[in-house]
Amino acid sequence: MALPFQVWVQIIINGLSLGGLYVLIALGLTLILSIMGILQLAHGEVYMLGAYAVYYLAVKMGINVYAAILFSMFLMAGFGMLMERFLFRRCEDKVLSPIIISTGLTLILQAGAVIVFGLYERSIPRLSEGSFELMGVFVPKDRMVAMVISACMAYMLYLFLKRTKLGLGMVASAQNPQAAQLKGIDPHKMSLLAMAIGSGFAAAGGAMAGSILMLTPFMGTLPLVKGLAIIVLGGMGSLSGAVFGGILIGLIDGIVPVLFGPLTASLAPLVIVIIILLIRPQGLFGHE
Amino acid sequence: MLKIKNLSKRFGGIQAVTELDIDIKERQIFGLIGPNGAGKSTTLNMIDGSLFPTTGTIIFKEENITHQRPCSRAGKGIARVFQKDVLFSSFSARENIKLGLHLHSNLGLKEIFFPWSAISKKKDRILDEKAMEILKFVRLGEKADEMAINLPHGNQRALGLGIAMATGCDMLLLDEPLTGMNAQETDQMMEMITTLRDEKNLTIVIVEHNIKAVLGLCDQVVVLDFGKKIAQGDPDMVVEMPNVIEAWLGAEQDAV
Amino acid sequence: MNKKTNTMIILLFTLVSFLAGRWAGNDYLLSVLILIAINVLMACSLRTIFILEQISLGHVGFALIGAYSSALMVMKLNISFWLALPLSGSICALTALLLGYPFLRLKGIYFAILTFMLAESLRLIAYNWRSLTGGQFGLTDIPGPGTIGLPFLGTIDFDTMENYYYLTLMVVILSILVLFFIEKSHLNVKWRAIKDAESLAQSVGMNAILHRIMNFVIASFFAGIGGALFAHYQKGLSVEVTSRFGIMASIYLLVYVVIGGKEKFSGPIVGTIVLMMISEFARSFEEYRPIIIGFIAIIVVLFLPEGVTGIPERLTRLKQQLKKG
Repeated sequence: MALPFQVWVQIIINGLSLGGLYVLIALGLTLILSIMGILQLAHGEVYMLGAYAVYYLAVKMGINVYAAILFSMFLMAGFGMLMERFLFRRCEDKVLSPIIISTGLTLILQAGAVIVFGLYERSIPRLSEGSFELMGVFVPKDRMVAMVISACMAYMLYLFLKRTKLGLGMVASAQNPQAAQLKGIDPHKMSLLAMAIGSGFAAAGGAMAGSILMLTPFMGTLPLVKGLAIIVLGGMGSLSGAVFGGILIGLIDGIVPVLFGPLTASLAPLVIVIIILLIRPQGLFGHE
Repeated sequence: MLKIKNLSKRFGGIQAVTELDIDIKERQIFGLIGPNGAGKSTTLNMIDGSLFPTTGTIIFKEENITHQRPCSRAGKGIARVFQKDVLFSSFSARENIKLGLHLHSNLGLKEIFFPWSAISKKKDRILDEKAMEILKFVRLGEKADEMAINLPHGNQRALGLGIAMATGCDMLLLDEPLTGMNAQETDQMMEMITTLRDEKNLTIVIVEHNIKAVLGLCDQVVVLDFGKKIAQGDPDMVVEMPNVIEAWLGAEQDAV
Repeated sequence: MNKKTNTMIILLFTLVSFLAGRWAGNDYLLSVLILIAINVLMACSLRTIFILEQISLGHVGFALIGAYSSALMVMKLNISFWLALPLSGSICALTALLLGYPFLRLKGIYFAILTFMLAESLRLIAYNWRSLTGGQFGLTDIPGPGTIGLPFLGTIDFDTMENYYYLTLMVVILSILVLFFIEKSHLNVKWRAIKDAESLAQSVGMNAILHRIMNFVIASFFAGIGGALFAHYQKGLSVEVTSRFGIMASIYLLVYVVIGGKEKFSGPIVGTIVLMMISEFARSFEEYRPIIIGFIAIIVVLFLPEGVTGIPERLTRLKQQLKKG
C-alpha cells in the first residue's frame, strides 16, 4: 500500500494497543467459558464498572492510578465471585439460562450506571504523560504502558495455569470436568476462581480503556462484541487462541479502517470468522 | 457385503486407527472387539459416516461410501444402534419406531404439512400397523404408548434396536448392545439379534469391549488393539490366542 | 384442554388486538400497539429457532436486512410496498440460506456468538455504507403503503396510523398462523427428533444440517417481514447502538421468549405482550425500565424456568403433590 512508513508504524501500534485490551477481555471470557461452560454476556458491564471504580478511587479520592486499578481488580473479582455463587451456580442448564441471566444483569447494570454515574463522559487520569519517539513516530506513552500491562497480565495468567497447583487444577477441570472431580478438584471452587480472574482482567481492561478513551455507561458493549468474535476465531475455549485472536482483531481494527475504509472494517471480522469456520469448524486453535 | 480397505484415522497427533482391513459377509454376525481405547468406536463412526477416514476406503454392496454422510448411508441400508443416543426421548415408543420408518414412509408435501388430512391419516394408520409389528418383535407391544424416556434400561435398548430395524436396513451396527443389562435382558437381546439374522437376513456388526459377552453370538471377530488388527477368526479360537490375552491383560494393568 | 391452549391464545390475541385498535383512539397508543404486534412476530419467529435448541442472539440482524431492503426497494426502485414486503422477507431467507452452512455446523453457545456477531456487523455495515443506507443519519421519509382500492371495503388509506395498525396486525397474524401451521406439521416432528438425538436422527436418514438450515431460513424470513413492517411504520431508520437494531433489541426479544415460555407456541406471544405492557406502564420512570425487565428475566429463569405459560402445568403438579400428601 502506498502509505508512508510512519503511518504504518502508527496504525500498527494503535492496533496492538487495542489488541492488548481485547486480549484481556477475551482471556476472561474464554476462561469462564472453558471452566464453567457458560457465556457471560455481562462481562462488558464488569469492564465498565471496573473503569468507574478506578475513576472514583483515583479522581474523587485521589488514590494513585495504579493502586486504584489494582484495587478495582480485586473489587470486581469479588463481584464476579458473587455472580457465580448466587446466579450462575443456580442455573439448570449451561446454555440458555446463563445467557438470559447475564443479559438481565447487563440491563440492570447498564441502566443502573446511567442512574448512578450519569450520562456525561468522564475520564481516568493517564497512566503516563507525554510520548516518545519510535522509528520516527511519536507514540503516546500511556498506550505503551497499557500494552505492557496487558502482556504482563496475560503472561502471569499463563504462569499461573502452567506452574501452580491451583492453575493446573483449573486446566484439568476445563479439559475434563468429570475426571477432575474424581481427582478431588472441586468444580464450584474452579468456577469461582474463573469468575474472579475473568472479572479482574475485565476491570483492568476497562480501567486502561478509560484512561485512553472515555468512560460511559455503555462502554462495555464494544469490548464484549470483540471478545465474542475472538472466542470463535481463536478456538472455542483455547487461551492461546484468545491471545492470538485478540491481537489479530486489534490489528484489524487498527489497520483496516485506514487502508480500506470503515465499511470494509465493519465487515472484516465476520468474513474472517466465516472463512475460518468453513475451513476449520473448531476454530484456529481448537481441537476436533 | 462391507469391505474396509486400508482404513486409517488420525486426530491431530494421535493415530486412532491404522491400516485396517475388514471384510464382512452377508448374514454374518460380526464382532469388532478390543479393550477400551482400541479404536472400535472410531471404526464404527467411520462405517456409519459420523467420521470420515484420513485414508482408506469403505465399500458397501459394491459401492464406495467412504465420504457419504450418515443420512445417505441410512438410505443405502446401514442403521446403527447408539450407546448414548439410543432413542428420541420426548416421543412415545410407537412414535420412536415411526421416526425410524420415516425413511420409507414416502411422505409427500401433503402428509408433511397436512397431517390431519384423510390421506395422511390413512398412511399414518399403515405406519402404525408396521410400528406395532416391530414393537411386538422387540417385545414392547404392550408399552407402545409409554414415553420412551420412562422405559426401563433394557426396554430402551430394545426400542433402539426397533428404531434401527424400522429403517429397513440390511446391515445393523450395534454399539455395545449388552452393557448395563441384567442376565435376563442380555439373553433376550442375544436371542433378538440371532433372530434378526436368521429370519430377516440382516448382517450384524457388534462392537464390544468384553470379549466373553459375544463368544456365543458372533460367527467371526476382529480384535483391535491400539488401532491395529491383532487377530481375526472364529471367536472360540481368538480368545485362546496369546497376543489377544496379552492385550486385555495389558489394558487391565493400565487401568489399575 | 392443554392441547388447545395455543389455539385459544392465538384467537384471543387476534380478537383483543383488533378491539384494542378500536379503543386506542389516539396515535400514541396505536403506535405502541403496532410495536407490540411487530415484536410478537419477531419473538414467535425467534422461538422457531429454539425448537432445534439453538439460540440466536442476532435475530434483529435479519429485521435490519428486512427493514432496509424493503425501504430501499420502495424508495430507490419504486417497487410497491405490497411487493417489497414479501421480497424483503425473501432477501432475509436467502441471507440465512447462505450463512446457514457455516453457522449451523456450530451449536449452542458458539451459534449464539455467531448470530450476535452477525447482527452487530450488519448494524455497522448499515452505519458505514453511507451511499446506500444514509449512514448515521439513516433513511428518512420512507413512504407507507399508500392508498389502495379493495373489493367490499372501498379505498383505504394505509398511511393513517389506525389503518397501518390493522395492516400490521393482518400480516402478523397471518405469519403467526403460518408458523403455527409449521409447528403442527410433520416437519416439526423431525425437528424435535433431531433435537432429542441428532446422531440417531441422522442414522435413520434425516439430514440434520439441512433441517437446521431450513429452520433458520423460515425464522429469518419472518424476522425480515417484521423489520419491513417496522420500516414503513417508523418512516425512518437509523442504526445507532441504542436503536431498534442494536444488540439490546435482540436481547429483549430473547427475554420475551424465555419469560413467556419457550416450550409453547403461545409463550412468545404472552411474553412479549406482558413485558411490553409492563414497560409501557413504567413509562414515567423511563430510566428504570431496563432494570425492571432485567430483574424479571433473572427471577423467571431462576424460579420459573418454563416461563409464564408454564404456570398452569406447575399448578396442576402442585395440586397433585398436595393430594398425595
